[in-house]
Amino acid sequence: MTPEMNTAVKSGRAQQEKTSSDVILEVKDLKKHFPIKTGILQRTTGVIKAVDGAHFSVKRGETIGIVGESGCGKSTTGRTIIRLYEPTEGKIIYKGNDISHLKEKEMRSSIRRDIQMIFQDPFASLNPRKTLGSILYEPFKVHNLHSEKERQEKIESLLEIVGLDGSFKSRYPHEFSGGQRQRIGIARALTTQPELIIADEPVSALDVSIQAQIINLMEDLQEEFGLTYVFISHDLSVVRHIADTVGVMYLGNMMELAPKEDLYREPLHPYTRALLSAVPVPRQKGVKTREKVVLKGDLPSPSNPPSGCVFHTRCPEAMEECKKVVPAFEEKKSGHYVACHLYK
Amino acid sequence: MSVLLDVKNLQTHFISKKQTVKAVDGIDISIKKGETVALVGESGSGKSMTSLSIMQLVPSPGGEIVGGEVNFNGRDLLKLKEKEMRKVRGNEISMIFQEPMTSLNPVLTIGEQITEVLRYHKKMSKEQARRRAVELLKLVGFSRAEEMLKDYPHRLSGGMRQRVMIAMAMSCDPKLLIADEPTTALDVTIQAQILEFMKNLTHQFETAILLITHDLGVVSEVADHVVVMYAGQVVETSDVERLFDEPKHPYTQGLLNSIPAIEGEIERLQSIKGNVPLPDEMPAGCRFAPRCPKVFDKCLTSNPELIPQEQGRKVRCYLYEEGEDAV
Repeated sequence: MTPEMNTAVKSGRAQQEKTSSDVILEVKDLKKHFPIKTGILQRTTGVIKAVDGAHFSVKRGETIGIVGESGCGKSTTGRTIIRLYEPTEGKIIYKGNDISHLKEKEMRSSIRRDIQMIFQDPFASLNPRKTLGSILYEPFKVHNLHSEKERQEKIESLLEIVGLDGSFKSRYPHEFSGGQRQRIGIARALTTQPELIIADEPVSALDVSIQAQIINLMEDLQEEFGLTYVFISHDLSVVRHIADTVGVMYLGNMMELAPKEDLYREPLHPYTRALLSAVPVPRQKGVKTREKVVLKGDLPSPSNPPSGCVFHTRCPEAMEECKKVVPAFEEKKSGHYVACHLYK
Repeated sequence: MSVLLDVKNLQTHFISKKQTVKAVDGIDISIKKGETVALVGESGSGKSMTSLSIMQLVPSPGGEIVGGEVNFNGRDLLKLKEKEMRKVRGNEISMIFQEPMTSLNPVLTIGEQITEVLRYHKKMSKEQARRRAVELLKLVGFSRAEEMLKDYPHRLSGGMRQRVMIAMAMSCDPKLLIADEPTTALDVTIQAQILEFMKNLTHQFETAILLITHDLGVVSEVADHVVVMYAGQVVETSDVERLFDEPKHPYTQGLLNSIPAIEGEIERLQSIKGNVPLPDEMPAGCRFAPRCPKVFDKCLTSNPELIPQEQGRKVRCYLYEEGEDAV
């Protein structure tokens, strides 16, 4: 069940030979369960299966988009990769090494510099009592990088790289708008010259005109520094724009994983189809309106997920089998993986 | 069709010792019976403040409606006394808000919250109100409506709460429903359910809807008519087809170009440079001039009026003045 993805190379992007050895990150059957504790004795009375089988891999210089609705486990997946949460099961392989159970000290000395994160809320992710200068100084200090003079120069050049003014380093976060703050968050992620960036909903708190600025900036940076992105978002149109490969999650499970072109042109899983059709689209001249699949009901609780295929309670094409047997996550076409009984 | 709501030159200012902020600066909106009008703009454009002004719920002290008319069904709402206005709110005009999580009272049951409206406005008995509440919950798609009356809001998901909000808003058969970002906090599949439902409302009950949103995809799906706001003013108004086929104002064009598409070619996104101006740093001329790609001298010195175009469209831009060639 190892997704060996065969993604089209974006023109003008990190021009490197793409071979299978170029896979920078591989996630195998990742699971993260949170215990539910009740009473004064804090007995474990159940588990929330936040992530219950995530599989994907991503090549150097490319972008994997992870999409899904709230509660599908996409953020937990991102946070588990960077080991902010301990994985319950499964493997996280970074550059050929299994980092899923590295000790915190080893993580800090080897991995943390390489993998950085960009957060959703630009208002909550920057310390309001620190100047931009000291926000960007901290990663240098933690990782003991560069001399004092170099650090100050780097801070200014980083601010300029993300489209801000170097003189802003003595200002505080509250002086900036949402879009500008997200640029600061990106600058902070770039301080340690990472190779992999996990971006958790980086543009969903922004207005569309600002959102476009940030997406363009992220694309430019990817080209310039050969960055690899894990781009987590609920917005299918944004992911289509930036990703090379897209994984669709539902209730902790990866339902479909495919190169972008395939996924959007020919989605296989009924959930992916419903999700795609639910996106409201600004009408265009001469383009026919698409047929809608409106899903019934709400997302089931991850503490008590449905038996069999987790999507069967809302699936328009559910069969008897779906209620009992969990569908395997298998490759149906080259690089196109799906977990659904319809495709056997 | 007759005009239901006609807002003329509405002005809402926030006055402090230091400065006066013109949050709503001369807005005109007209809505016909059974029509859905979308009010579109980015954060800080004054769209929510416009809706609060129509309902006269502007935060006070501080905010004040300083001018204009809100003609609803032949009366100017701004001339009503607070006691009379209270009979309009929730009865003839009702409102649903963006945050389904915070707009229901967490310590009252769903039943108590819906029946309160009916008991107050329709003077129904407890039993009548209860029966009507069940009807309403069924209308918004709850199969187990009876039991739901006893549930507290925390037991419901976001989409369910928003449906309860709609049921409450529809309880007195309002002529106008103001929906302020009703689906922004919801997932796409749930958003599709709610939009579908709102479309039914306009067909079934001829309820007019003023939809406030920043999502042009949503606008394209449900609205008949669109009003685009920028920095407290209307910059373009048009019927929905023509707006998407041929946006006129450079701001509308910029907004449409900056949306990543879910089908068709993938191109680099065209963003609008800069940010929405802060209310105390309004440019002297056209408010969009500092961000406009087509700016010329005249734009920097004076702010254009809304210039009428064909088919009742209007646009606030000097590019469309008499004698100027269209772009």
